[in-house]
Amino acid sequence: MTKTTLLPGLVLGTILAVPAVAQDNMDKLSNMQRTDATFTNIDQSGDRADALTGILEHINVPDGFEVSLYAVVPDARSMAVAPQGTVTFVGTRKDKVWSVVDRDRDRVADEVFDFAPSITFDVPNGPCFSPDGFLYIAERNRVLTFPAAEFFFEGPDPAVGTVVAKGELVPAEEESFNHTARVCRVGPDGKLYISLGQPHNVQPQDKLEMYDQIGIGGIIRMNTDGSGREVYTRGIRNSVGHDFNPANGDLWFTDNQVDGMGDDIPPGELNRQTEAGQHFGFPWTNARVEIPDYKDVERPEGVAFVEPQVEMQAHAADLGMSFYQGSSFPEKYQGGIFSAQHGSWNRTTPVGARVMFTALDEEGNAAGTEVFADGWLDESTGEYRGRPMDVAFLKDGSMLVSDDFAGAIWRIAYNPAPASE
Amino acid sequence: MKLAAVLLGGLMLAGAGPAVADDPAAGRKVANMCRTCHGLDGLAQIPIAPHIGGEPEEYLEAQLMAFKTGAREHEMMSVVAAGLSAQQISDVAAWYASHESRATLPEGVSVEDAPAACVSCHGATGISELLDAPNLAGEVNIYIDTQLKAFRTGRRTHEIMSDIAADMTDEEIRAVADWYGAVQLEIEMSE
Repeated sequence: MTKTTLLPGLVLGTILAVPAVAQDNMDKLSNMQRTDATFTNIDQSGDRADALTGILEHINVPDGFEVSLYAVVPDARSMAVAPQGTVTFVGTRKDKVWSVVDRDRDRVADEVFDFAPSITFDVPNGPCFSPDGFLYIAERNRVLTFPAAEFFFEGPDPAVGTVVAKGELVPAEEESFNHTARVCRVGPDGKLYISLGQPHNVQPQDKLEMYDQIGIGGIIRMNTDGSGREVYTRGIRNSVGHDFNPANGDLWFTDNQVDGMGDDIPPGELNRQTEAGQHFGFPWTNARVEIPDYKDVERPEGVAFVEPQVEMQAHAADLGMSFYQGSSFPEKYQGGIFSAQHGSWNRTTPVGARVMFTALDEEGNAAGTEVFADGWLDESTGEYRGRPMDVAFLKDGSMLVSDDFAGAIWRIAYNPAPASE
Repeated sequence: MKLAAVLLGGLMLAGAGPAVADDPAAGRKVANMCRTCHGLDGLAQIPIAPHIGGEPEEYLEAQLMAFKTGAREHEMMSVVAAGLSAQQISDVAAWYASHESRATLPEGVSVEDAPAACVSCHGATGISELLDAPNLAGEVNIYIDTQLKAFRTGRRTHEIMSDIAADMTDEEIRAVADWYGAVQLEIEMSE
C-alpha cells in the first residue's frame, strides 16, 4: 500500500554538497534539483513578543518553577525536539512546520523560520523523531520522513521520503479539518504510531466497520518505511496526544469527549494501553458515560472496553502529552505525565487552557492528577490569553508548552532560588 | 437572483418556515456560543473556523439551517446548530452580517490573476457578490481547500459548487485556496 521513496545515497557528504529537491508532488525527488523556495522568518522581538511577554504575569506554576517566553511561533501545535536539541520542529493546523532554533542554548529561540518551504504541507500538525534522527511529519492525509532533519533544516530543500503517500492514510472522503490533526511517536519497537481521529462528533453506524478496519477513531502503527500497517488502538474518538512510558513501553494517550451531552459529561480521558488491539469503548462509551446514539447498537463481540486511567474535567480538551524523562524537575515529577488542556469551546463556563501532571505508581497506573500550570484562561471574562496544545522537553529537562492561540512556545524551568545568606 | 430563490426554496424544505424578523442585538447574545472559535466580530480565532463577520446574512442562515437539519455536517457545528432555534439562527446570522468586512490583496498582486472560476460569485478579493456565496477573503487556505474537497467528494453539496469542484485537481484547489488565503481581511464590528 505504501512505499518509501527515500533519496538514493543518503550519504551526508552527498546531501551537503547537493541539497535535494523536496517538492510536494515528490516526482523530482530523485533528480536532486534545487527549488526556488525561500524561508519565512518570524520576528522574535517587537510588538508581538512584547504582547506575549505581557501574558507571563498571569501564568501560575508551582513554587520553584519559572515561566518564560521561548519563541514567537504562529499557530504552534505538536512539537518534536531534535536529538541534539538545536532545533525544535513545531507543527501547525495550517500549511507550515516551524524550525525553532536555539544554537547558543540560552533557552530562548534565536530564530524561527519555516521548515522545508519547498513542500506544500496540508495540516502538518504532528512531527516526531526516531532516536536515530529521522523526522516524521504526519499531515492530514500523508506521512513524510526527513533524514537528519536536524542538519538539513537550514536549507529550503531537505532530503525527504514518503512513508504514507497522499490520500493513503485515510480515504479522501474521511478528511476533515478539525479531527484530522495527527500526532505521531516512534515506539520502543521502532514502529511509527499515528493517531487517526474520526471526523464526526459521533460517527454514523454505517461507517463503523470501515473505520475499524482503517483505524479511524484509533491509533495505527507501521514500520518506518510505511509497510506492515495495522490498527494498534481501537475505540477512540479523537486523540491528539500519545507517548510511551519509558519505564515499561505502555502507550498512553489522551482523548477528547463527545460534545452536546452537557457541560459536565463525558469526562476527558487519559488512557493506558498495555497490549495491541485494545478497545477503549468509543462510540459506545466515553469513559463510563454511554453514548445515546449507540445504546441499542451491538457492541463488538468478546471485547472488553478498557476504562480510562484518569477522567479529566469535561470539555477541557486534553491534547498533547509527554512522559517526563529529564532530571531537572523535582523527584515527584520524574517518570510522570505532563499533558496540555487546550480549553473548552462551547462549555457554558470555559475550562482548561492549562498543563496537567499525572503521577504513576509502581505498577504503572495513574496515581493522581493535578494542575501544573494555568492562567491562560481569563476566568473573569471567559476569554483565552493562550491555549496550551502540547508539551515537550529540552535536553536540560525544562518544559516547552506550545500555544496555537497566542502563537507562542512557553518554557517552564525549575530554578530553585539560591539559599539566602 | 436565481440563486436566492433556490436558497429560499431550500430553507422551506428544510423546515425553517417563513422567514422570521431578525434581531442583531439578540444575535449578539447568541454569538457568545460562537465567539471562542469565530470571534464576537466574526474574525476567526482558530484555523479550522471560517471568518463570518460581514458575511451575507442569507448565506449564514442557510448554513446554520443546513447544519441543523443535517444537510451539512461538521463535528462541532452540527452540535451547535442542533441547539439553536430558527429565531436564534436568524438573529445570530443578522449579528454577524451586520459587521463590515474589507479585503485587500497582498502587495504586488493583481486582481486580473484572480481565479476565473470563482470571481463572479466570490469576488476577486473574496468578498461575496451574491447572497448565497460566502466571503473567502483571508480564510485559512486549508479551510477553503477542505471545503472544495468536500464538494468534490460529495460530503458537502451545492447546485453550483459541486459541479465546479468535481473537475478540480488537488493542485488547482490549493492554488485557489492560496489566492483567497493570502488576502488581508479586516472586520469592523457594528455597534
